[in-house]
Amino acid sequence: MSIMGSPQTDSPVGSSEASILAADGLGHSYRERDVLAGIDFDVRAGEFVCLVGPSGVGKTTLLRCLSGLQRSSSGEVRFRGARMTEPLPGIALVFQDYSRSLLPWSSVAANVELPLRAGGVKRAEARAEALRALALVGLDDAVARMYPWQLSGGMQQRVAIARALASRPSLLLMDEPFASVDAYTRADLEDLMRRLQRELSLTVLLVTHDIDEAVYLSDRVIALNGRPAAVADIVKVRLGAERDQVETKSTPAFADLRARVHDLIRGSRGMAS
Amino acid sequence: MDMTHDDVSTVDVPDAVATRPERSARSGRGPIIVAQTGVIILALLVWWCASAMLPAGIVPGPLDTFGTLVALTTTVPFWGAVAETVWSFGVSLVLCIVIGVPLGLAIGSSRIATQSTRLVFDFLRTIPPIAILPLVLLVFGPTFEMVVVVVALGAIWPILIQAVYAAGQGEALLKDMAASFRIPRAWYVTRIFLPGALPFVMTGVRVGTTVCLLLTITAELLGGAPGVGAEIAEAQVALDNPQMYAYVMVAAILGLLVNLGFWAVQRRLLHWHASNRTGTAS
Amino acid sequence: MRTIRSHWLGPVALEMWLPLVLVATWWFVSAGSTSVYFPPLSSIFASFARDWLNPAQLDRNLLPSLQLIGAGYALAVVSGIVCGVLLGLVDTLEQATRPLLEVLRAIPGVALLPIFIVLFGIDAQMKVLLIAFGSFWPVLLNTVDGVRGVEPLLRDVSRVFRVGPWRRLAQIILPGASPQIFAGARTALAISLIIMVVAETVGGNGGIGYFLLNAQRSFAISSMWGAILALGILGYLLNILFRIVERSVLRWHRLQQSRLESSR
Repeated sequence: MSIMGSPQTDSPVGSSEASILAADGLGHSYRERDVLAGIDFDVRAGEFVCLVGPSGVGKTTLLRCLSGLQRSSSGEVRFRGARMTEPLPGIALVFQDYSRSLLPWSSVAANVELPLRAGGVKRAEARAEALRALALVGLDDAVARMYPWQLSGGMQQRVAIARALASRPSLLLMDEPFASVDAYTRADLEDLMRRLQRELSLTVLLVTHDIDEAVYLSDRVIALNGRPAAVADIVKVRLGAERDQVETKSTPAFADLRARVHDLIRGSRGMAS
Repeated sequence: MDMTHDDVSTVDVPDAVATRPERSARSGRGPIIVAQTGVIILALLVWWCASAMLPAGIVPGPLDTFGTLVALTTTVPFWGAVAETVWSFGVSLVLCIVIGVPLGLAIGSSRIATQSTRLVFDFLRTIPPIAILPLVLLVFGPTFEMVVVVVALGAIWPILIQAVYAAGQGEALLKDMAASFRIPRAWYVTRIFLPGALPFVMTGVRVGTTVCLLLTITAELLGGAPGVGAEIAEAQVALDNPQMYAYVMVAAILGLLVNLGFWAVQRRLLHWHASNRTGTAS
Repeated sequence: MRTIRSHWLGPVALEMWLPLVLVATWWFVSAGSTSVYFPPLSSIFASFARDWLNPAQLDRNLLPSLQLIGAGYALAVVSGIVCGVLLGLVDTLEQATRPLLEVLRAIPGVALLPIFIVLFGIDAQMKVLLIAFGSFWPVLLNTVDGVRGVEPLLRDVSRVFRVGPWRRLAQIILPGASPQIFAGARTALAISLIIMVVAETVGGNGGIGYFLLNAQRSFAISSMWGAILALGILGYLLNILFRIVERSVLRWHRLQQSRLESSR
C-alpha cells in the first residue's frame, strides 16, 4: 500500500538510467589533506543503501557532498542524471542532531510543513500533508501541536523523518540518524525506516558507523575505509524483504555479512560481492 | 575589541554570562584592518563634508575637533576634568559593587528574601536615574557627592538584581557534592559558591560599569558638578563648538577604555570559564 | 526558582509585604517632617494626585512624553533590528564597521543633547531623533549577536530544504535571534526613558521632564517628588507592557528554558 505515491522513476531497475544518485570519482580535501578519494557508487531507485565506515573516516563530509551542501574538490555527484552543485529539489536530509535541526519556536506541524511552504505549497494543503507525514511515522495530531523540545529524542527524530518525507523526496539521505538514541528506540526507528521504505518505495541512503544497523537495513552496504577514505567494497545484502530485529540478526547469513563488512572496514580487503 | 552588548534579562531571566561572539578562524588579518580603517576614514570624510556644507561653525570638522582635543591635553583643567570624572565613576562603581554584590548574593540565597524584594527592586530599577537628579542637586549642590549619589542609585540595580539571580544559578550538583564530602560551609561558600556565581555576577557588573560611566557624565552635564560632562555643558553655553565636540569625544574614549578594561579584568577572573576557552580572535 | 503555587494568597503576600511595610514606614517617619527636601509622604501623594491623576493635567504633562518616547523608541527598535540583521548576516560588513560602531555607541546619548540642539533645533523632531540615536545601540548590538547566535545547523536545514531568503529571515533568523533582540530592546527602553526626560528639559513643550525641571526651579519640592513618583510609575508600566509583549512572543523560549533547567 503506497500512501504517498512513489517518486518518479522511468527506467527499469538495474539500468544506469535508474540511478537516483551517482558519485563519480568523488574526492575532497580539506586544508591540504585528502579526506575522500575516488569514491564511486550509485544508488538506484527504490533501494535502501547504507554507507558504513569507522568514526572519523569522513562519512559526514561525504554526505554533505552528496546532498549538495558542499562542493567536492574533485569528481562529481549526479542526482537524477544532473550534476549537483547545490541542494536540488527532490532530496531530503535527516540530520544526526535532531534537536538542533528542528525549529524550537515552531510547533511540530509547522516544522514538518516547512519544506512544503518553502516550495510554495499553500498553507492548508501544506498542513494537511504535514499531518499525513506525521501519521506515517506514528505521531498523532496532539503531538503535531506541541513544540519539538517537549518530545523525547526518538519522537523528535520521527518528526525530522516526517519533515523529510513531507515533500515526497526522490532521495532520502540520513546522517547517522539513530546514533543519539537509546537501543530500544533505535530498534524501533530502524524498523520504522524499513517499513516506510517498502510502503512508499523510497530510495534511501543512510550513513552509519553501526555495522549491524547497516546490514539489517539495507539492500546494499557500501563499506568505506582508509585515509583518504575510499570505497572498500559494496556488499549485496540478501536477507529477504521481511526482517526482524531478533530473528534476522541471529541467522548465519547475517553473521556472515556482518563479518564481511567488518573486515572491509578494518582494512583487510574482502572479495568482490 | 568586540561588539559587547548591554543586556541583563531575557524573559525575566537575566542572561547567563557575558560571552564574546565566536569568530571563525580568519586566515588574514590584513584585509580586515584595511576595511576597518577604510570605514573609519569614510566616516571622517562624511563628518568633514557635513561640517563644510553646513553654515559656518555649526558643526566643527574633524580636524578642528582633534586639534582642539590635542591642544586641550596640554592644559591642566582638561586633566582635572578627566580626573574628576574618572574618580566619580570609580567611587560610584566600587560603591555599587561593594553594596550590590554581597547584598544580591545574600538575598538570592534565600527564596523568601528573593520573593519579598522582587516587587521593590522591579519598581526602583525602572525609575530613570535622571528623575532624582533635581532632588539630589538641591540637597548636595553641584558637587562630587551629588554625582556619586545619583550614579550609585542608578547603577546599583543591574548589579544587585543580577547578583540575586547569580546566587540561584549554583549547580545543584556541586552543592550535593559538597554535602556528600561534608565540606564545611565557609569553605563551600568561598571555593564553590562564589566562583560559580562569578560569571553571572560579572554580567551585571559589566552593565553596571557602562551605566556608571554614562550616568557620571550625565550627572555632571546636567548638574554642573566638575568633570567632563560639565565641560561639555560649559562649552555649549560659551558657544564653543570645537571644545564641546572635543569633550564629547573624550567621553566616548573614556567609554571605550572602560569597556576594554572590563574585558581584560573579566578574562583574568574567568579564565576558566567556557566562554573564554574557545579561542577568541580579536 | 519556582515557588509551589498551591495557595495563591501565599505568594502574593510574600511579594507585597515588603513594599507595603516600606511605604508605611516612610509615611510615619516623614509624617511630621519639616525638612525642606523631604516633605511628608502625605503631601507627596497629594501633589501626585493633583498633578497626575487629573485628566486635564495628564494631557499637558504626560501625553507629550508618551508621544516622544513612543516615536523615538519605535524608530530605534526598527532601525536597530534592520541594521542588526544586516550586520549579523554579512560578516565582513560587521567586522569592518565594528571599530566605528564601538566608538559611536560609547558616546553618552545625553552628551549629544547640545549637539543635537545646534543641529536640529529644540522641537519634538530633535527629541525623537535623540531618543532614537541613544536607544539604537543596544538593539543593534544585541540583534547582531542574536543573529550570529542562531543555531548554525539551521543554515544547512534551510539550504537542504531550499528555504528561500525571505522565509529564512522570517521563520528562522528572526525567531532565533528574538530572545537576544528582546534583551536589547529592554535596555533600549530604559535608555529611551532617560533621554526623553533630559530632552524635555529644553524647549518647553511640556512633558514629565519639563514638569520636573520646573518644579525644581520653582522649589516646589512636593511637586518634584510627585513627578519622580510619576516617572517611576511610567517606567514601571512601560516595563510591564514590554514584558507582556515579550512573554507572548517568547513563550516558546521561556518554556524551553524552564524545561532545560528542570532537567538539570
